[in-house]
Amino acid sequence: MTVPLIARIGALVLGTTAFYTYVGQMVPQKEVQPPAEIVLKSDLTTADMVKVGREIMEGKGLCFTCHTIGKTGALRFPDLAGVDVRAKSREAGLTDVDYFAQAMYEPNAFIVPGFNPGMPTINKPPVGLTDQEILCVISYLQTLGGTPTVTLQTKHRYNAGTATPAAPPSQGASPGGTQPEAPLKGEKR
Amino acid sequence: MNGAMNRKVLIILGPVAGIVMFAGAVWMASLLVRHEYREPYRAPAAAVDATPRAEGVTAEKADAETKARAKPYVEAEYRTFPIVGSRVAIWSVAQLHLLFAAFVLAVPLFAFIIEAIGYKTGDPRYDRLAYEFTKLLSVSFSLTATFGAFLTFMLVILYPKFTNYMMSVFSPTFLPYVLLFFFEAFFLYTYYYGWGKFHPLVHLGLGLGLNLVGTSIMFIANAWLTFMMSPRGVSETGAVLSVWDAVYNYTWMPINVHRVIANIAFGGSVAAAYAAFKFLQAETDEERAHYDWMGYIGNFVAISAFLPLPFAGYWLAKEIYAFSQTLGLTMMGGAFSWLFIIQAVLIGNLFLAANYYLWLGMGRVEGVQPLQKFIKYLLIGITLCFAVWATPRSIIATVSEVRAMGGSAHPVLGYLGVMSAKNTAVNILILTTFMSFLLYRRTGKIATVTWARIGHTVQLAIFAAAAFVVIFLGIYGYFVEATVRIRLSVPQVSSVLIAMVSITVIDVFLFRGAARTGEVHWGKIPRISQYVLIFIAVTFTWLMGLMGYVRSGLRQHWHVYGIMRDRSPDAFTPSLGFATKVVSVTVIEFFLLIGVVFWIASLHDRPDFQRTPKKIRQAETHEAELT
Repeated sequence: MTVPLIARIGALVLGTTAFYTYVGQMVPQKEVQPPAEIVLKSDLTTADMVKVGREIMEGKGLCFTCHTIGKTGALRFPDLAGVDVRAKSREAGLTDVDYFAQAMYEPNAFIVPGFNPGMPTINKPPVGLTDQEILCVISYLQTLGGTPTVTLQTKHRYNAGTATPAAPPSQGASPGGTQPEAPLKGEKR
Repeated sequence: MNGAMNRKVLIILGPVAGIVMFAGAVWMASLLVRHEYREPYRAPAAAVDATPRAEGVTAEKADAETKARAKPYVEAEYRTFPIVGSRVAIWSVAQLHLLFAAFVLAVPLFAFIIEAIGYKTGDPRYDRLAYEFTKLLSVSFSLTATFGAFLTFMLVILYPKFTNYMMSVFSPTFLPYVLLFFFEAFFLYTYYYGWGKFHPLVHLGLGLGLNLVGTSIMFIANAWLTFMMSPRGVSETGAVLSVWDAVYNYTWMPINVHRVIANIAFGGSVAAAYAAFKFLQAETDEERAHYDWMGYIGNFVAISAFLPLPFAGYWLAKEIYAFSQTLGLTMMGGAFSWLFIIQAVLIGNLFLAANYYLWLGMGRVEGVQPLQKFIKYLLIGITLCFAVWATPRSIIATVSEVRAMGGSAHPVLGYLGVMSAKNTAVNILILTTFMSFLLYRRTGKIATVTWARIGHTVQLAIFAAAAFVVIFLGIYGYFVEATVRIRLSVPQVSSVLIAMVSITVIDVFLFRGAARTGEVHWGKIPRISQYVLIFIAVTFTWLMGLMGYVRSGLRQHWHVYGIMRDRSPDAFTPSLGFATKVVSVTVIEFFLLIGVVFWIASLHDRPDFQRTPKKIRQAETHEAELT
């Protein structure tokens, strides 16, 4: 019996699409939900903020789309392992909290040597974290090489704290004329 | 035999399709009727029941009516589509619209070029071929417009607030769009129906007009969709600051270029599939020869456009990164990274199939033997590049396997999963396919120019130099920082492009007036080659569906990235498995519809309906009785 031409072509079309659908099922399957609206209690302890900060970094903040923790090699964006140690001395006159805040509110103010600009402004869309959420993220970042100190009442220059003017965009140059330390691979900006 | 069987299948399918469409129309009508507002029934005064219960019921009804009338008008943000949901409904209709639009925009481009070649050379075969391609257009144009209208209504119904916003931003572009659509219809129908009725140059002018208008329409529509991905010209809250900036956003021009090239590749492959279908149906050698040639040209157009497509893709990706690193990283390193492994499988298949078709096609040329020995090396090269490209960075593994590997990346294969290896693989793949084309082109010919030996040596040297640059930079990329590595793809791409252009130019002069060692026997090609052409068309279509998904899905939970958030129940990004199912269903729908287009186009060649002798006798008898 001869199979009609239309049936043969139909089988080819169906077979090909079925094969590609099968390939589509073989890769990791992940449904990405929109970030949930987080309501932060005003009495969160620093320990709670660390947990929330980690959650935000994994979800709404999209931080781990680019950054890693404890990865070495040819990285595209700074690795965050031990970042608090570097944050304390990265820019003269900035505490680790100020430095982290600057990295999120004004990411192009300082670019870690060896890396390209690319970090979005975190308090604006599409990420759009609130001031409180950013404090939680800072508290988590402090745990990477240091001890968390921030609370929801902590002030820095971007949430009506000390109004230090932002440094002009620079590639590794720090305000005050001091040279930045040698670039470390995998460093947080 | 096949023709008779096909007719039987069509006779069965026709009424079934009619019944399904009728049932669909009845279902939609009944759905609308069920939800329409009805005036409450009022009994005639004489028949009013004055009992307390009846009065209570009447009062209740009156109260409900008063409440209904007092209900304030609320602007809907979203409406839901039954069963599959709004997102899948829009997705499917938009994809079908885009596939037909791509076909309608691409076919006139190469029909125009083929007609121009026919006019220049005076060979009537080209004119016939161009006309054959154009025959597919008129029905496809109607379907494109129908799906376009369908998409617009679906957007207005299901996403009214978002559609309203887009209208407010782009309102100055809509009237020119409609006007251009009128011109498109004018040029298309005069180009098709005016075939052979005008001076060839006037007809070519119509073809040029058709292409210019069609491309302009696509550019306007591209502004809308690229604005959604990389908005510009609006404030942070979405207020319009500059319509021109909204049009000329980061990804507008890269998408324009990418789509023109991709449309040609797609249109060529679908036209080749039509030729393959006609070849398989053909009953004479003459028909087979014609459709074999048509299939070859269609595939040539498709692959010629396909080779530079990755370069346009690079540009688009670069602009996406320039607009937003987050968006770029979501694409390449986030939720969509595995999609590019599926893409690698598709493109690998396309390269393999296109090369296989070329190698099969060499069989129709006498004197092919000296070149056939190279095929196995080309096959090895393509297979290796395919394998590298399809190697993921992170392997799907169990916990113990991950522990044994020291991470999700394989200690050896992991090195093939990074961009340095992939860029190298795809560039070598392009060079290898280009080599196949060159071999096919020179099958049955010997260069007779005095500088033939030098010409061949220079071509080989350029090819080797391009391959060396690509491989060297690929390896070098492992030893440098990200800032340097990212920029290495530019010289890789440039060296391949320069090699392709310069080798082609040399080849044209090298084989000018070449001696023929044998004839080309069009139609003498294994039948499987025609199924390969259909496979290529399905793969192209599927690839377009997949890449359409990533372009649109990249915005994730944003209608307009960073400006207008998607708050509908469908705001989540579906899994790749689900997305591939939707793509597959859309591809099957497209091929069902394009089958109808092919069938309608083939009606043109059918003999006129003839009455059977019995019917003629009956008619004569009837006529005699009357007189």
